[in-house]
Amino acid sequence: MIESLFVLSPTGKVIIEKHWHELIPRRVVDYFNEQVSKAIASGEDLTREDVLPIISSPKYQLINVYRDGLTYLSPITKEVDPMMVFEFLHRIPDIMQEYFGQVSETVIKENFVTVYQLLEEMMDDGFPLTTEPNALKEIVPAPNLINTVITTMGATTSASTRKMPHGMSNLPWRKAGVKYTRNEIFFDIVEEIDAIVDSTGKAVSCEAHGTIQTNSRLSGMPDLTLSFVNPRLVDDCSFHPSVRFNKWESDKVLSFVPPDGHFRLMSYRVNLPSQQNLPVQVKPSINIGANGAKFDITVSLRNTEGKPLENVVLTLPLHKSTTTLTAHCNVGQYMFDPVGKVLRWDIGKIVPRERAPVLSGSFGFGTSSEAAANAGYNIGVEFVINSHSLSGLKVDVLKLFNESYKPYKGVRTMTKAGRYQVRA
Amino acid sequence: MYNVDAYLKSLTSNAAKLSKKVQDGIAENTRDFRFENQAHFLDTNEDKMREIRKNLDSKYEKEKLDGLKRLIAMISKGRDVSEFFPDVVKNVASNSLEVRKLVYIYILRYAEQEQDLALLSINTFQKDLSDKNQLIRAMALRVMSGIRVPVISPIVMLGIKKCVTDLSPYVRKIAAHAIPKCYQLDPAQKDALIDIINTMLGDNSTFTIGSVLMAFNHVCPDRLDLIHPQYRKLCRMLVDMDEWGQITAMDLLLRYSRTQFLNPIGKTSATTTRAKKEKSVVKSFYSDDDSDISHHSSDGSESSSDDENNAVDPDLAFLIKCALPLLQSRNSQVVLSVAKLYMHLAPVEDSYKLGRPLIRLLRSHREIQYVVLNNIVAIASQRPYVFDQFYQHFFVRSTDPVFIRNLKLDILTMIATESNITFILRELQEYVKSSNKGFVTEAIEAIGRCASNIPEMAESCLGGLLKLASSKSDSVVAESVVAIRRLLQQRPDDSIAMITQLTKLLDDMTEPLARANVFWLVGQHCVQLTTIAPDVLRKAAKSFCSESEGTKLQILTLGGKLVAQEGASSKTINLLFQYILNMARYDLDYNVRDRARFLRALVYGNQNDLQSGGSGDQNQESDENGESEEHRDHGEDMGGFEYSEKELNLSDHIKAILLSEKPAPVQENPSHGREQYRVGSMSLVLNRVVAGYEPLPEWPTTQPDPSVRRLAAQMDAPGYMNDHTGFGSDSAFAKSRQAAGGFDASGGSRYDGQAGAYRGAQSLDKFLESSSEEETSSEEETDSDEDDDGEEETSEGEDEEEEEASEEEEEEEEEEESEGEEEESEEGVSSEEEAILPPTSKRSNGRR
Repeated sequence: MIESLFVLSPTGKVIIEKHWHELIPRRVVDYFNEQVSKAIASGEDLTREDVLPIISSPKYQLINVYRDGLTYLSPITKEVDPMMVFEFLHRIPDIMQEYFGQVSETVIKENFVTVYQLLEEMMDDGFPLTTEPNALKEIVPAPNLINTVITTMGATTSASTRKMPHGMSNLPWRKAGVKYTRNEIFFDIVEEIDAIVDSTGKAVSCEAHGTIQTNSRLSGMPDLTLSFVNPRLVDDCSFHPSVRFNKWESDKVLSFVPPDGHFRLMSYRVNLPSQQNLPVQVKPSINIGANGAKFDITVSLRNTEGKPLENVVLTLPLHKSTTTLTAHCNVGQYMFDPVGKVLRWDIGKIVPRERAPVLSGSFGFGTSSEAAANAGYNIGVEFVINSHSLSGLKVDVLKLFNESYKPYKGVRTMTKAGRYQVRA
Repeated sequence: MYNVDAYLKSLTSNAAKLSKKVQDGIAENTRDFRFENQAHFLDTNEDKMREIRKNLDSKYEKEKLDGLKRLIAMISKGRDVSEFFPDVVKNVASNSLEVRKLVYIYILRYAEQEQDLALLSINTFQKDLSDKNQLIRAMALRVMSGIRVPVISPIVMLGIKKCVTDLSPYVRKIAAHAIPKCYQLDPAQKDALIDIINTMLGDNSTFTIGSVLMAFNHVCPDRLDLIHPQYRKLCRMLVDMDEWGQITAMDLLLRYSRTQFLNPIGKTSATTTRAKKEKSVVKSFYSDDDSDISHHSSDGSESSSDDENNAVDPDLAFLIKCALPLLQSRNSQVVLSVAKLYMHLAPVEDSYKLGRPLIRLLRSHREIQYVVLNNIVAIASQRPYVFDQFYQHFFVRSTDPVFIRNLKLDILTMIATESNITFILRELQEYVKSSNKGFVTEAIEAIGRCASNIPEMAESCLGGLLKLASSKSDSVVAESVVAIRRLLQQRPDDSIAMITQLTKLLDDMTEPLARANVFWLVGQHCVQLTTIAPDVLRKAAKSFCSESEGTKLQILTLGGKLVAQEGASSKTINLLFQYILNMARYDLDYNVRDRARFLRALVYGNQNDLQSGGSGDQNQESDENGESEEHRDHGEDMGGFEYSEKELNLSDHIKAILLSEKPAPVQENPSHGREQYRVGSMSLVLNRVVAGYEPLPEWPTTQPDPSVRRLAAQMDAPGYMNDHTGFGSDSAFAKSRQAAGGFDASGGSRYDGQAGAYRGAQSLDKFLESSSEEETSSEEETDSDEDDDGEEETSEGEDEEEEEASEEEEEEEEEEESEGEEEESEEGVSSEEEAILPPTSKRSNGRR
């Protein structure tokens, strides 16, 4: 049972406090803040992210989620499956994102009445009630301009007969009575590459995680069937609740009645056979001495079907004792953050068959230490390739049943670096 | 013409009026647009507070809303605004839904404090229960049941009864939610509530049923007899329930199944050996054919004779089958709940299906990873083969938080097999380069654990460790030497070559811990190291003064052992040892002096009165130092006490004392113990019992009557409950495709929205029911010949000696040292072993 929720600002102050069962005194937040700062101070280079998601206090288990600088804290008194609590706590910012477009301390404060109403509907006496965005929007209107106009106009013209939302649809995830003059549906297939590449350029682990983000603007109760050219590529997947499991099992097609608006239709994983699929090769070489090191990093394109790599950024966290850095690069620009000790190289766009970007230079340790000399380095890589699907998964056909109109269909693909790491 | 003119005139004047009106309206409302930003309510000063009351009494909705918003802002700032309760309660009957919703939030927050005033609102709620809008009805019941004032429980009860028969599944869902709340208000209502629950269990709406089961779990979790008639229906509906309902339903079905079926897991596990099991399981995994599996398990064990007994109950098999698709849920708790079901109910082969989905959750948020990894640890410690092919997913990224890193290391050591060990080892050696000291230590320990888990690979592990032992980083050297020493204790056969290698490194080693370990190793194996050992002693004697305390102790022990081994025959060794003893005698540290005295007495007998006098003093000192240790040792060494009473000459037994075999340390995974808890539970994650944890019921020993589920007649549920809201359901879909009229025809009637659904419900429902019945029965047939392979529970002994995780030898050693001394003087033999322990092995090694 999830009894209470506190949303804490980055400084540990309560922004939102909600009790679904009995009141839990605010003292618990002080205790929590104390434990967090203790945990962070307990070891070198620990951050808020290293704090355990479950902290035990004498009376409660403090289950906390840290996301976008905000802490969602739920003190638990009795045995409960913690995963359910985490899952629910993460739904809260998800829903806020859906309602307000972004989640931050300011946004919550600007919309706190709506947030309270949402929390009231999402949970009833410690048990999740309505968590589908579509159903929630029926009960708690999203604060867009049109709604505001209606509210304010309606309020002044007739105080009595506000239009009450009437229908709960039979499908918890879809509103009833949706109408569009232009029926359209868009699929964004976004694939993220997770890879660990060792210093010789060999991938230690390598896989692609894809999601199909859908924006549905279709009237009525459309029943869709989406099929792929090569569904067997998919190694493992999970679906939005609207997708019929058995149809996937038997025919490898996605059959569903979509929610209205944005939603994630499917997430999947594709095992990449080996590293030749990686679109980029980062070759670092770092020669470390006792007082500093010389380094150079070369980035070259591989196997992108002639498409350019965009928004390429390399980050190299340096050892804590690093004080000075000088470098030179032929493309883009680099920045050294002397506080966080991070070297960030913003390359921008890499076009195939142009000269490979190189960053070379040296850095020095303030005090010569053996620990610094022996440390390993990891380069984080970010990039985007538009209209490219690394796994090669392709949409074949989208069929629509149950409605007579012909919708406009759009499919976009994109490949991004996910947790992409190169060891030096 | 005139008409037209007049018309035009009136039209223009109307238009002018209209535009003026609109303009006014807009002008009036511009001030309202800033309300989109609700933040300004949050800074409320005292003046504004006074305004609140005025606002609440206002006849304008706008101002009421203002007042209410301000109040809610106060609540969220932690201020007590219960004084406004009377003013707020007046607004509960407001016509504006907007106002009401805010009033509800306020009432729910303060009703408990202002019980009498809260009663004022009840009337309105009762009236609302008959409202024609389902949302209003639902909301009224929700708020009413949420007011925690015991007096109103009969009214809540009436409300529930009314709503249970509501046409709207949403209202029924709310009614189900109200049941546990009502039970809390007045536990005396339990029986009436159970009746209601029983009726509601017949509800066929997938929208409602999850909440009914939740109420069941709260109010009467033990009335599993009510589930009998619903069991098959629940299994069938599982896939169509909402996510949270699925979680509740699986919890209930797990408990139900544990009491109603015989254990399908363990029948053969008692007799089959682990190796055999693994083999058959691995084979069956690669064969896609189901019949293959049953083949294997039946010839793999002696069970072919009682094959019938081993068959999984068809009802249980049905549940297992119905839960399978939920592994594809986007909700991580649903996935974990399936894992729970499979781990605690399903035959062992089925656990292979858990690997991929659980791994998938590792891509999720940090907190979810944390829980999943903890559960994977628990599962992998019993069935490592579920995950061994996914080892790459447990590789640590430099960005992983600390708690994730450590869990991943644990898992890597658990799932290491001969086929993946090379990759895992290479990866672990990579981690040693990390700049985080704690992580490096963990990684080196993990290498050691891998080696002891897979004896075949120990050699390459040792090779890797040896390479690390010559590393530049002191801490790495220390850790890897300790790990090597531990491994060598388990594998005395490879020791000699390894130790020779280590002694070569000795000159460059600066880390005291590493040196101490090498000296201990040489001493322990000096029998086989006849050429090297004396030379090591010579070098040690040379550097004795500059060594650290722990190392000095080990050098002394080494000397003692060598002398004991060679006896008086080797003059050089004797001289070296005496030289060291003399140096130690004047050492600054009393532990070193003590050890020297003790060894001198032991090796050269009681020629020297001075020493015995010295050790007398020693007793007292060690009493202070080693208090905690003492009690245990006194108890355990009683045998030794008798021995010494016979007044044997100790020096006759030097060899036995100093060179006895030391038991190898038992290396335990830090995550050990998790597997005893229910998968998914908080207790498992924290590895201790959390308040409210209930272990799963034990399997029944005799088969409970299976006919209770079959006999349960298809009680005709009232029509209103039969609307299948599980519209997106697979069964509904399949059916509609089959139906003669084709998809559009049958589907159309249901898409009309609510009204249509109710109308068509009854007939469609029967249709669906009968069809899914067929499905069920055919599945039962196929499933029944699936065989179980018996569980493989490698239950690790609870009473295994625990080795402490910390590696701070120095202190430990001090204690042991002094305690050894003390025992020596009064009881002699038995405790010497303790005194000459390897530097890192803890008290556990002292036991015999």
